[in-house]
Amino acid sequence: MPSMAMGDIAFLLLIFIVLLARARDESHLVWQPATGTELVKPANRNASVVIDKQNVTYLNGRPVQVENLAAELEALLGDLPAGGRTVLFKVHKDVIAEFFEPAIEAVSEAGGELHHVLEPAPNPSAVP
Amino acid sequence: MKLRRPKYLVETPTSAMNDIAFILIVFFLVCASVEPEDGRSQVIPRSEKNEDRQTSQSTEVGLTPATVTIDGTPYRLNEFQSRIRQILAQKKTEAERVVVLKSQADVPYEHWIAMTGIIERAGGIVTLLLEEEQTVNLN
Repeated sequence: MPSMAMGDIAFLLLIFIVLLARARDESHLVWQPATGTELVKPANRNASVVIDKQNVTYLNGRPVQVENLAAELEALLGDLPAGGRTVLFKVHKDVIAEFFEPAIEAVSEAGGELHHVLEPAPNPSAVP
Repeated sequence: MKLRRPKYLVETPTSAMNDIAFILIVFFLVCASVEPEDGRSQVIPRSEKNEDRQTSQSTEVGLTPATVTIDGTPYRLNEFQSRIRQILAQKKTEAERVVVLKSQADVPYEHWIAMTGIIERAGGIVTLLLEEEQTVNLN
């Protein structure tokens, strides 16, 4: 079996996967998750909303005005069925309600299913 | 006298390059894909507007950065958990278990997420009460 080209094929496939992954890259955003208990993995991930340390809102890594968030999410989620409209919600732990509540409202208005991304509490009994 | 020319290696061995590249890319992929996604799902019905508030029979929780109130009565954080459980245990229907959450603008997310977690674990359905912005022209 000719296996000489197998390495090249794998290499090209991996580059393809890397490029796809970079399209939703949020590694440049600075945010620290709040803590929580009984955390679960999201069923799926259709969109991601980040509010960073500077109170700036991003949709899939791109800055967005909160006033336009509902419309943009609606366009993104389209006619996806219930249970498949998960919106990952990543908010820096010190961001105040003035900034994150309108974003929650926008997700709800667009019919998105909110999934707060949190980190496990180091001492779960300390979390009320 | 004839000098013997030394044999130099003119080509670097490239047969292992593919394997090295493959392993390097797998390494970078693994490093890049460690993004946190664990968390808590939350169903938030559309927020209530101020004018609808009088008609609803739901419990109202008020949040400030340091305090928490239930229908206007302030509670310590450790008391809040047991009190909201007591209140919601008496509610029979889903509509009755709706908890209207009114947060002050300066409530940090960490505090908000902890309090909504308590309400949801007690069986409540959190809905937000947002202040409507109104523009008043003064002539």
